[in-house]
Amino acid sequence: MLARSKGCIELDGVSQAFSSNGANVTLFQHLNLSIHQGQSYAITGPSGAGKSSLLMLMSGLEQPSAGAGYYVNLEETSNKLALSEVRDAFGFVFQQFHLLPELTALNNVALPLRLRGIKDAEQRAKKWLERVGLGHRLDHKPNQLSGGEQQRVAIARALVFEPSFIFADEPTGNLDGNNANDIADLLFDCCSNQGAGLIVVTHSEALAARAQHRFVLENGECHQLSGTSLSSEQKASAVQKVASC
Amino acid sequence: MLSQSLALAWQFHRQERKEPSHRYLRWIFIVLMVFIVTLSQSSHSIQQYLTGNLASLLGADVVISHSQALSHEQQRAVEASSQRIVETQTVLTTLTHDQQWQRVKLKGVASGYPLQGELKTTKVLGGNEQIVEGGPAQGDIWLDARLMASLSVELGDSLTISDQTFLVSQVLVHEPDRLMEGHNVDMRAMVNLADLQQLKFASELTTYRYLIAADKSQIGSLIDWQKTALPAAQVFHKQGAHPLALFWKRVENFMGLASIVLFFMAAIAIEQLSQVQIRKEQYFSAVCMSLGASKAQSFYLSVTKWILRVALLLPWVLVISGLCHFFIIDWLANTFQDTAFQGLTWQWNWRVAINAIGASLVVFLLAQIPVWYGLKQTSIGQLLKRNTNTSATWLIKACSVAMLALIAVFYSDNGLLTVMILGLVFVCVSVITLTSWGVLTFGEKLTKNVSGLLPFTLFMMRQRLVSKSTQILGVGLSAFLLLFTLMLMKDLGETMSAHKRQHDGNLLISQASDNQIKAIDLWAQENDIEIRQAKPFYYAKLIAINEQSLTQHSDKPSDTMATFQQAIRLHWTDGVPNNNRVLAGNWWSQNTPDWQQISVEEEVMTDLGLNMGDQLTFFINNQQITFTIVASHGYRTGGGSITFWVQMPASAQYHIDAAKYYMASLELGSEQFSLLGDLWQQYPTLRMVSLKEMTERFDQTLAMVTQVISGFSLLIILLAIIVTVSSIQALEVKEKKKNSIILSFGFSRKTTLQLNVIEWIVTGAIAASGAILSTYLAGLMIYKSQFSLTYQPNFVWLALTVTIILLAVIAIGVQASKQSLSSSIRDLLAE
Repeated sequence: MLARSKGCIELDGVSQAFSSNGANVTLFQHLNLSIHQGQSYAITGPSGAGKSSLLMLMSGLEQPSAGAGYYVNLEETSNKLALSEVRDAFGFVFQQFHLLPELTALNNVALPLRLRGIKDAEQRAKKWLERVGLGHRLDHKPNQLSGGEQQRVAIARALVFEPSFIFADEPTGNLDGNNANDIADLLFDCCSNQGAGLIVVTHSEALAARAQHRFVLENGECHQLSGTSLSSEQKASAVQKVASC
Repeated sequence: MLSQSLALAWQFHRQERKEPSHRYLRWIFIVLMVFIVTLSQSSHSIQQYLTGNLASLLGADVVISHSQALSHEQQRAVEASSQRIVETQTVLTTLTHDQQWQRVKLKGVASGYPLQGELKTTKVLGGNEQIVEGGPAQGDIWLDARLMASLSVELGDSLTISDQTFLVSQVLVHEPDRLMEGHNVDMRAMVNLADLQQLKFASELTTYRYLIAADKSQIGSLIDWQKTALPAAQVFHKQGAHPLALFWKRVENFMGLASIVLFFMAAIAIEQLSQVQIRKEQYFSAVCMSLGASKAQSFYLSVTKWILRVALLLPWVLVISGLCHFFIIDWLANTFQDTAFQGLTWQWNWRVAINAIGASLVVFLLAQIPVWYGLKQTSIGQLLKRNTNTSATWLIKACSVAMLALIAVFYSDNGLLTVMILGLVFVCVSVITLTSWGVLTFGEKLTKNVSGLLPFTLFMMRQRLVSKSTQILGVGLSAFLLLFTLMLMKDLGETMSAHKRQHDGNLLISQASDNQIKAIDLWAQENDIEIRQAKPFYYAKLIAINEQSLTQHSDKPSDTMATFQQAIRLHWTDGVPNNNRVLAGNWWSQNTPDWQQISVEEEVMTDLGLNMGDQLTFFINNQQITFTIVASHGYRTGGGSITFWVQMPASAQYHIDAAKYYMASLELGSEQFSLLGDLWQQYPTLRMVSLKEMTERFDQTLAMVTQVISGFSLLIILLAIIVTVSSIQALEVKEKKKNSIILSFGFSRKTTLQLNVIEWIVTGAIAASGAILSTYLAGLMIYKSQFSLTYQPNFVWLALTVTIILLAVIAIGVQASKQSLSSSIRDLLAE
């Protein structure tokens, strides 16, 4: 488990391309990016720009067409690990929540702990559900919960095993304004309190504005609008361009 | 890792088992396994019972019959391919007693006789039958009741053959190997083989019969051996040309077919359910991986959950199938009670149970492989990109085919039948796939510019061609298998009833005088006994053919010629008897004045080298009469078993002055056999053969098999319903989504239901076309080769039955749609 140590995800000159109906489509090329544990990041951009693909590369779920991604333990700088090797330190929050319909809220949250063989899984899950304000909904199944409540359960489930990084794909995309704000508060607060890195892919300006660092992926280029996570060469760029095709 | 995953799998299993979908799957598994185990147990018990029963009717697995004794070398060869051998010898000879004489078939039996089945005798004429362990001791002779009456012998009397004296110690009632000796009405006597050998009959008069116990492969090798080493001998075997062979073959094939059909149905149901399961498992696995679990862990979890799911079902399966088996056997034993032989008893066969469960598990495992393959393809990316992986769909199909092939290999012992069914399933799949594609594609194109519910339904179905075709395939295949089973059951049932009618009477009177037949008629009326047939005849001795003596006409030895050396029975009738058909020439008209014409049986014509127009001269009670052959007839089943080689017009009786005799058959109830004693006492010269033993077993076996076939069909109907429900369940989620979308377009629930009804009618119609065509082909292919039945398709019956089946399918489908629509739009949209 990597949650206790300070680490960072590094993308080193990564490109992503695929072929569709015989045509080669390049999403982005030669991207260098560092994501630090304890920091929050937002990736915005139009649909089809490759935001979710970038998220998958960062989480080690997909391999880039070129370049490489690493997990670097900052306390032991020589220790570089492939992202796929540290997958158990990553948590996910989805737009569609993806709770298991046959399990109660409590069992959904306890699931990652049980997968790790932790004995007091239910107690810990219960605490987390109370933290996200659902202490009174422990035995409810997903179809008995509202969209906002379901996303709270999903956040509790993603954080209960204390991951180093949380990847969230449109976490408020299915929620109304009030619920979206509440969920955003919860997500950012919890990650901050846990010391986990948070990477959010979103179309919501309001949600993106909460992040400490913000990237815009558009036309194969990735721009940083704020924050200081750029490589030294890119920092020098006047337009703060971090990657281009 | 192991205990942790096991505990986790156990927790998930407990949580999942409360879910309706898992409960549904569990019930399907239980029902299928209970079906398969119960059927295997029941058919094993029934087959064992039938085999035992058949053994009692046939007396051996194989009989080698030869005009010479086997040499030592030949004996050793037979011993090498058998389990046990018992030798018998029969001689056609004449027995005399107090001026009375009678031709008789004298049989000598070695120790160890009877090999299989029961030898029955009585100690008093007309008394209670008893099963005896072996044949007569040396110095004893057993005579059948007719022979005793004919020779005026009583128990305890002595008979002398050559210079040996024999004590008549018992009345011979039933010899288990008699059926294999062929139908004849010779009077019978039995002695010890050692005595018969001492009588030193000429070897050309002796028939040597070797009763052999052998298994299936040994039977095969004995037949092969006989063809090369002993071609002059005859081999009779269980699968061979004895009266029960065809019936037995049909029973075995029907049971085999029913088992294969059940397995195929199960395979279709599981295949349909796999589609639901694969989505659930993939989703579960992807969620677990998004929470940090590795793919291996997810896979291990899934495998452990499956093992737990199946293992926990086994005790239930064993208990329920044990009870079902018990009730089936109990019901059969009570329905077909028979005091003469031991009925079916409940016996649990672990080997059969393990085989059936093993086969079921292989089926389930194969059905699970695509699910696990699907897990291999699963990634969190699917959850992120919100798409589903369908690459496992084709693997499901491939696994289904492998599953069927495996079933064919392990579960069937009739390779040809299995290959035929597989071929027909393939044809059915092809027909339905092509029809689905054609109807939906062209239907949609043709109705593109037409408004209305039907074009809209065709459009919707066309858009979901793959999933819809799978559903139609499930329904169509089960409809085909069901329709074919029902059709076969109906036709086989009708054939068996015909068999029963043909098999007329359990008491055969081989000779009764005019007075005797009148007395029998009266006796039958008084005792409410049915006389099935009574046919008159004269004894007539053939003396010349075309004015040549028999020896001049032919010096070729034959059984027919040997029989014509003695007087034969000459029957008169105006119409063609029900059990005969005219094969050549023209039968005479009623009351014809031209009485000197005859019809001769086809085989007799061939054996004696006779032609139409030939003249036969008979000697009948000192009269010499010449007849012209005008017709040739053959035996036809279904109209009684008494038939004559030579027949003349009824008007001939007025020109012939001779004693009239009758052959007759009667049907007696088992309690009425005791009344025969009085009849015999009154008319000691009456020649009667009791077929009680043989017919009782035959009737009971037929009745039981008919019931068993009906039971099998009932199970297949139940399984067909399960398959249909599985097909509906497989698309339930998609149907709900489709309905919610249609409702969201502003359509009323009524209109949406109408759309669903039309969709089910289209589904049913396509499935019906495939089912009818495949059933027709199945009839053409399987009837003749496997059941020796002529296939005469009754299209009205087929259409009516398939309509009923599909109305039931449509009703189930529409009911499911109603349930789906009864949810609120919000619920539907939430899906």
